Amino acid sequence: MNTLKRYLRLYRVLVSQFLKTIMQSKVDFLMGLLGFFFTQIMGIAFLYLVFEQIPSLQGWSLNQLIFIYGFAQIPRGIDHLFTDNIWMIAWRIVINGDFDRYMLRPMNLFFQVIAEKLQPDALGELLVGTLLLIYSLSKGIVIVDALHIGLFLVSIFAGAIIYTSIKLFFASIAFWVKISGPFLQVAYEMADFAKYPTEIYARAIRFIITWIIPFAFVAYLPASFFLKETVSGWIIGIECLIALVFWCIAYALFKKGTSIYESAGN
Amino acid sequence: MIDVKHISKDFVSPKKYPGLSGAIKGLFSREKVIKNAVNDISFHIDKGEIVGYIGSNGAGKSTTIKMMTGILNPTSGECIANGINPSKDRKANAKNIGVVFGQRTQLWWDLPLNESFTILKEIYNVSDEDYTERMKFLNEVLDLEEFMDRPVRTLSLGQRMRGDLGAALLHNPKVLYLDEPTIGLDLVVKDNIRKAIKKINEMYETTIILTTHDIGDIEELCNRIIIIDKGRKIYDGSLEKLKDIYGSKRKISIEVKPDDSLRTFSLSSKLNISPEECITEYDEKSYTLHVTFDKHQIQTPDILSAIMEMADVKDVVIQETDLAEIVKEIYVTVQAGLAHSAVQDRKRN
Amino acid sequence: MKKKLKIYLPFASNELKRQLAYKGAFYLFILVSLFGSFINYYLWMAIYGSSENNILGGLTKNEMIIYVFMAYVTSSIVTISISDWVSDDVVKGTVSMNLIKPIDYRASLIVRATGDMIYRFLAPAIFIWIGVEVYKVHWLGMPFTNISYIFFYLLSCIMSFLIYVLFDFCFGMIAFFTTYIFGMLMAKEALLSFLTGQLIPISFFPEIFQNVFQYLPFSSMIYTPVMIYLGKYTGETLCFMLLRQLIWVLFLYILGSLIWKKVTKRLVVLGG
Repeated sequence: MNTLKRYLRLYRVLVSQFLKTIMQSKVDFLMGLLGFFFTQIMGIAFLYLVFEQIPSLQGWSLNQLIFIYGFAQIPRGIDHLFTDNIWMIAWRIVINGDFDRYMLRPMNLFFQVIAEKLQPDALGELLVGTLLLIYSLSKGIVIVDALHIGLFLVSIFAGAIIYTSIKLFFASIAFWVKISGPFLQVAYEMADFAKYPTEIYARAIRFIITWIIPFAFVAYLPASFFLKETVSGWIIGIECLIALVFWCIAYALFKKGTSIYESAGN
Repeated sequence: MIDVKHISKDFVSPKKYPGLSGAIKGLFSREKVIKNAVNDISFHIDKGEIVGYIGSNGAGKSTTIKMMTGILNPTSGECIANGINPSKDRKANAKNIGVVFGQRTQLWWDLPLNESFTILKEIYNVSDEDYTERMKFLNEVLDLEEFMDRPVRTLSLGQRMRGDLGAALLHNPKVLYLDEPTIGLDLVVKDNIRKAIKKINEMYETTIILTTHDIGDIEELCNRIIIIDKGRKIYDGSLEKLKDIYGSKRKISIEVKPDDSLRTFSLSSKLNISPEECITEYDEKSYTLHVTFDKHQIQTPDILSAIMEMADVKDVVIQETDLAEIVKEIYVTVQAGLAHSAVQDRKRN
Repeated sequence: MKKKLKIYLPFASNELKRQLAYKGAFYLFILVSLFGSFINYYLWMAIYGSSENNILGGLTKNEMIIYVFMAYVTSSIVTISISDWVSDDVVKGTVSMNLIKPIDYRASLIVRATGDMIYRFLAPAIFIWIGVEVYKVHWLGMPFTNISYIFFYLLSCIMSFLIYVLFDFCFGMIAFFTTYIFGMLMAKEALLSFLTGQLIPISFFPEIFQNVFQYLPFSSMIYTPVMIYLGKYTGETLCFMLLRQLIWVLFLYILGSLIWKKVTKRLVVLGG
């Protein structure tokens, strides 16, 4: 309990220092936010153009797809906001030896990695996600009751953990290969598959994004629970279980990686 | 205090090929190269010692320091500092040590220096009283006050180094590791940094281990030096002893009026000693005669008078051998020794 | 000319070497960049499956499949983001170094981009292209693409490449005014993937948009060469499209020179 308190305090100190530095450049902040906002809006524009030609896509209406799309943005945005520095492990911190700094301080290593940075760009994703959810709610296509609201919160939390775990897993490979950015990139981009109903894909792809790199459990599968009465709430239970399992695997790999860390200059 | 026992470190990397065709070849190759950076090194350091850890580039200095600080795990052997093995209990060890890497800062680049100290206070859980007391002391020895509120990225190298040193000492570590602490600094700043290090060592009995290329650092700070080469320890002892054993070589450079007879001149035959003990080289461009000799064998005046008989001397420069040359000589001796023992091994078999 | 080549050639070959040095990236780059195409492929399959018409936006289902993958092939060789390099150079301060050297900064960037383009053409593009043709003949039962289409496609691609890098050079000049160009780059990429026809054929846009796009360089970057490849443009239309590309090349070249002059003047004044 004491440790938790201490870490919360440390997090506050570290992050508030970081925020001070980024507040010095508000323009950059706005640009980043706009960049992510734009990227996501283009996806919606694409769907809109397509639905000019067809009434529904394999039984899904445009509004339902917009909900899935928006729902997918929220755990993604949360993870992006808090753990963006994991990318630096994959691309830079391991190969150039900056990881030394973390090794020299009496704090948990993973904590140090994520406490180093908040990514305000993620607010662009969260903004798009929230706007699309509000739009969907106004169209009355989403089931709203106590159970669904409760599970909604659980689901976005578990979804964010799944994102973080996948990132941590592939970033940790850098301890072996020095730069694991490309691997992480591949895995992370898989998330795009889950923005649409997974039924449209071939069986192999559906299997991969459901069980191997389980982005379907972050977006499409839980989202369908909020859209269709026939989908059971257990889907959220499975999501939590997957989040737990993947977190344990990713964290174990990270721990193993730090034990074989080679630093730089050799 | 610190016990390093038979520590070794290997690095494995994929083989690289030169050129464009090499880059393509590299895509399909799985060959590995093993580099033995540190090879079976052991030593013991007592509380309050200042130890200079020296060797040429790539000798394995930084690798050893990184193993002692817990950054790297040794391939074999272990290091125990204050009863803690850093590779098993990194966090506990981290509380006991302070580290300064001359080439890269531990401070928060974009923040004013005092903010870095505030963060470190939290990280190391330093109490308010301790913090005030430490800051007072650090201000005294390092003069931090004048740039305390400036962002780290705007500091000069010397200021940054003082800041880094202060940051490493805030939590009163038992051991302080310094990797090239005076690299790139001018003489005045170097001197200040050395004084500060000395004072810290006296005040708090902090054990200090430093790697350096700067001979001044060693002469002013270290009561003991450890020399490594190619990952092996080749010397461990006091500076005086080292100079005594290896530092008996002297070099004299004598500028003379142009004289062709000097080309074939041999000082050793004139003084009647073996040529290895007294080497003469004549530089025809600058008309300078370089004489290298062993001060235990020949006296400097003997040489000078011998040469003055021969030629018209314009200028004389006498050089004390510096540590760098001593170290170079040790490498040569050690390698010759190794070759020698290898030969003997073969004979025995 | 020969001497010029000697000065600039290292930029291209270094870029090739740099790319090859990252083994992992080499293989994975192919995979990751194909994801978008596969998502699009499955999405279009589902869309055509849900539609009562066989032709959407002027393309049959089979043509759409070829469109999706050829748009990928085209974009992978054409869209080489030199504005990344510009912003890198600005951040590191090497732009002023480049001003001292007796070389034209933009030319060195374009040559470096050419090295990158050749690499991408060899690494993923040509294999996917062959894959598309095999798929087309074997599974879709269509004939091989006409040689003359391929010729005009490649010609068009070269101009697309020039349009893209010349445009991107102008865009990269933003780096001189803001330190954090990452967000801008993302917005640019998102917008371009839409306006160039990479994500969806221009023919899907409402008429008003299509008319506006006529006067922008973006559709010339990807939509035009792919439509040429599909044999949608012949005779006069083909000539017109190629001519339009050429005009964009010239226009953007001149525009870039003007902007560069302005920026370097500022650079000299500020002493960056």
